[in-house]
Amino acid sequence: MLEAKNVIKTFDGFRALDGATMTVPRGAVYGLVGPNGAGKSTIIRHLTGVYRPDSGELLLDGAPVWENPAAKARMAVIGDDWYYFPQASIAEMARFYEGLYPTFSRKRYEKLREAFPLSDKKPIRRMSRGMQKQAAFWLTMSCMPEVLVLDEPVDGLDPVMRRQVWSLLLDDVSARGTTVLVSSHNLRELEDVCDHVGIMNKGKMLLERSLSELQDKTVKVQAAFRTEEEPALPAELKLLHKSRVGRVYTYILRGEREEILRRMAITKPLLLEAIPLTLEEIFIYEMGGEDYAVRDVVL
Amino acid sequence: MIRLDYRDARPIYQQVKDGLRRLMVTGVLSAGEKLPSVRQLATELTINPNTIQRAYAELEAEGFVATVSGRGTFVAGGVEQSLARKEELTEKLTPLLQELRELGMTRDEWDALWEGGEGRA
Repeated sequence: MLEAKNVIKTFDGFRALDGATMTVPRGAVYGLVGPNGAGKSTIIRHLTGVYRPDSGELLLDGAPVWENPAAKARMAVIGDDWYYFPQASIAEMARFYEGLYPTFSRKRYEKLREAFPLSDKKPIRRMSRGMQKQAAFWLTMSCMPEVLVLDEPVDGLDPVMRRQVWSLLLDDVSARGTTVLVSSHNLRELEDVCDHVGIMNKGKMLLERSLSELQDKTVKVQAAFRTEEEPALPAELKLLHKSRVGRVYTYILRGEREEILRRMAITKPLLLEAIPLTLEEIFIYEMGGEDYAVRDVVL
Repeated sequence: MIRLDYRDARPIYQQVKDGLRRLMVTGVLSAGEKLPSVRQLATELTINPNTIQRAYAELEAEGFVATVSGRGTFVAGGVEQSLARKEELTEKLTPLLQELRELGMTRDEWDALWEGGEGRA
């Protein structure tokens, strides 16, 4: 279990993390989302022991991560600024990783060669950005870490490679119980692969849930009524958002689908339909409550 | 074998569940046959193993499959399966039938549909 407890970090007077708390359960695929500048990369750099917090705790199974080689040996990271030695090839970097990670597996490294169409003799700096990303996955997955931390991991990978990489990652998750923490803006993709989601905003964790709980407990309801006027909704319903097109109202409600439909029936609607929400919709509605929405700007 | 459609309003676990059920009802997966493992399906479809697990758990609760611990998940016997499916389809039909009634469908029209049901599809 990877945890951040009440982490505060200030850079030059700017509070990048303002009491951020998060918990990544063992074996989870945790999707970290949030608007640009929310603090996602900052908390990731704290969780992996790169940054030292001003206050708060960062723990892997209860042990502090900062300056703790034993904890770091169990974690592997692919950031957006993945580091390699200037002249090194993948094969040479593999020797470096082998020295760092006691769990590094040569067998795994050879096996992964089939997954990535790369030459491991060529200097990494000569490769395209997407190929460098593949190289990062090849090396990192050869380390067989217990916890894999990925910051915007599949950016720059083509659709085939994205699928390839996720398929390998999910195989590790189901076979070895690897914990994966992944930050991304691709909510469509996260929705498939994650089972936990954390939404960050302004250096804080806005909400943190299991994805099934999140999707089972937020419902989009479309309704049309007999009357011209919109009837009052039952007071017990927790309304997040409402919009209207013609006579059809769309409500985003928090609660169980069946219960919401039962309660809505009191308004005697002509039409009543519950549609599950996508992660993207949840993100937009939750952030909308935080005053973060698309602005109508005319150029 | 199972197709996930991102434009489909159903959640992914539901799509997996419906997909597997279709394979069983149509006989592509026959009684006693072993279903792919959670790991296999997760990597093949690139979705979270828990999503597959949820689909399997619900199929088991509905009597379509049975899990033998340590050996895997198997297609359950035929009789309970088609009964369960019948019950479920009836449940889906009820609101449709009600709406048709509201639109003024008569008993005769309904009977005609019943008689010619196979031919029309």
